Amino acid sequence: MATAILLVDDEAALREPLGDYLRRQGFAVTEAASAAEARAHLAASHVDLVLLDIMMPGEDGLSLGRHLAETKRVPVVFLTARGEATDRIVGLEIGGDDYVVKPFDPRELVARIRSVLRRAGRAAPERAQSVIYEFEGWRLDPLKRRLLDSAGAVVAISSAEFRLLMAFLDHPRQVLDRDRLLDMVQGREAHLFDRAVDNQISRLRRKIEVDSRNPQLIQTVWGGGYMLAAEVRKIASQG
Amino acid sequence: MLAIAVALLIAQGFSALLIWHEVHQRHIAALVNGAAMRVTMAVDPAAPPPPPPPADAPDHGHGDGHHEWRGPPPASGDDTLRLPRTVRLHVDAASPEQPGDGPLNEIEVAFRDALVAQGEAPGNVIAVARDAANDPLVRPLLPELRVRYRLGPSQPLPVLVLTAAQQADGRWMTVRSFMPANENVVVFRLLRQTLLTYLVLVVAVGLILRRMTRPLRALTARLDAFAASPGLAGQLAPQGPADMRQLIIAHNAMEARLSALLDEKDVMLGAIGHDLKTPLAALRVRIEAVDNDAERQRMATTIEEITRTLDDILSLARVGRPDDPIEATEMSALVADVIGEFEDLGEDVVLGDTARMVAPVRALWLRRALRNLVSNALRYGQRARVALVREGACAVLVVEDDGPGIPPAELQRMMEPFTRLDPSRNTGTGGAGLGLTLARAIADQHGGMLVLTNRQVDGRVVGLTARLSVPLAK
Repeated sequence: MATAILLVDDEAALREPLGDYLRRQGFAVTEAASAAEARAHLAASHVDLVLLDIMMPGEDGLSLGRHLAETKRVPVVFLTARGEATDRIVGLEIGGDDYVVKPFDPRELVARIRSVLRRAGRAAPERAQSVIYEFEGWRLDPLKRRLLDSAGAVVAISSAEFRLLMAFLDHPRQVLDRDRLLDMVQGREAHLFDRAVDNQISRLRRKIEVDSRNPQLIQTVWGGGYMLAAEVRKIASQG
Repeated sequence: MLAIAVALLIAQGFSALLIWHEVHQRHIAALVNGAAMRVTMAVDPAAPPPPPPPADAPDHGHGDGHHEWRGPPPASGDDTLRLPRTVRLHVDAASPEQPGDGPLNEIEVAFRDALVAQGEAPGNVIAVARDAANDPLVRPLLPELRVRYRLGPSQPLPVLVLTAAQQADGRWMTVRSFMPANENVVVFRLLRQTLLTYLVLVVAVGLILRRMTRPLRALTARLDAFAASPGLAGQLAPQGPADMRQLIIAHNAMEARLSALLDEKDVMLGAIGHDLKTPLAALRVRIEAVDNDAERQRMATTIEEITRTLDDILSLARVGRPDDPIEATEMSALVADVIGEFEDLGEDVVLGDTARMVAPVRALWLRRALRNLVSNALRYGQRARVALVREGACAVLVVEDDGPGIPPAELQRMMEPFTRLDPSRNTGTGGAGLGLTLARAIADQHGGMLVLTNRQVDGRVVGLTARLSVPLAK
């Protein structure tokens, strides 16, 4: 059975060609021109994933997304016209699984949809953890993807580095080999080779090690892989 | 404020000096008139008594053998001490001047004038000051005087003044009197009054000034705040004198108009962004139907360029009114992150030395500035070398390329919108020429600056260096 996608966008000029494109890619697409239409469809039929435009007259995408996050466990990918991060962060914080910025490459959109569906299929409720990880004075807020150093300064990390760090934080003091890390970071269909992991590790070290040439936090284990040598504490985040 | 205080002090001091001078003159006049009258009376007892001088009542007769005091002792600190009559007027055969006397020219002149005014034709006239303890006539009376005037043994007596006029027969008529003792008291009183008036004036003027300057200062602070981030939050309430209130009300109205204009601009830009990006997104989806891969790729690139230019224009329009907060940000991680994006795209970007440093920045904007500088370096200079260094209180992002540089005359112009070096303005090299303008505007937004310099080796330009500095956390 084809994956059921609900496409919500008030602009017919975009909604119709995008719907056609996704149908050609093998998805069963239902189009909705407003949040109200979308709610009606969601109540009546099964939906595997919602593509949701943020800027809509009437109830906007953020509001509908919040509603979906609270009531149904339907993955949401936001479509946003604004590239500014306020929207991105808000989208993810209120339970969006991913987003694309208009105008987007439709192939990239399909890749994101597949990736989100795969994560949802694994049924790991890994999103929306309202905890903060603390290790060696560092603090990571997984919801906001924000890493703060011991002085409270924001330390920028890419999404690959974020997923890598999350893998270590969920398995502290365990040796993780490259395959395992690749699997956790990139997903199963990763077409990246081993060096990509080493590359990401060295980027991460450059940001969080005192001396990246003599790493103490993320240690290289001979013949095995990498290990986070730190105590990790999870504390409830306020808010 | 200080200038006004000083001016007040000078004015008060001047007026005190004038008052003191007048009092001094009156004292001298009293002394001299009294002395002149005694001399006149002694010489010509039939003469009608002249109008009484202000300080001292005239006494008739002299030398009757015993000391006679008139009137109650004066209150302390008040009028001149009086001498017994016997001593007041004395007739000497020779000039009463003795060594140690100090001449009093001012009194001497006044004394002569007073005698002339009373119809005398004075011969020699002298006026001297003498320590009472050195006077042969007064010295024996000193203990008595001290008792009468309740002066302690240590308290000084006032200076004794001898005014003498030589008569036609060669004898000297000498009048002894004490210098008005309370001249110091007068000075002291004057000083106290002056100071008191001064303090009252300064406090009053200060209060008035503060009432005017406090709203002015608040308005200045408000202007600075509004210039930094235009918005209606924190508007001043009208306060102070009527004129100040008017000014603040007018200023608030202007702020409101400016804010409304800026809001309108933001709404318009948002609408443009949304209304252009949605059809662009539709177009981007539709070109997937084009079978020719090369053709489709070119279309996609064009759409990306339009999008990038649109983003640059929108950013440039918003750079003065950012709505994201300033956060303490570790700069080397930010630089590494942006460079990582370019590396992932396979661009020739080298990340050189970076040191950890924290600066209060809007990370999104700074990323954009750095991205623009690196893109420029890649576009015109084939490769980019990026470093982060600390210079004084600034974090400096250094982006070097190996391109042809920019002619010195063009360096400044490059920062202006829509300026690119290739005159054809074809988009073969990409971009609308907003990259540097935006980078500079972002540097401004952070209170930093962007400086472009040509790197030279042996007088030959080997590349361009862009240095974007932002202030570090204090």
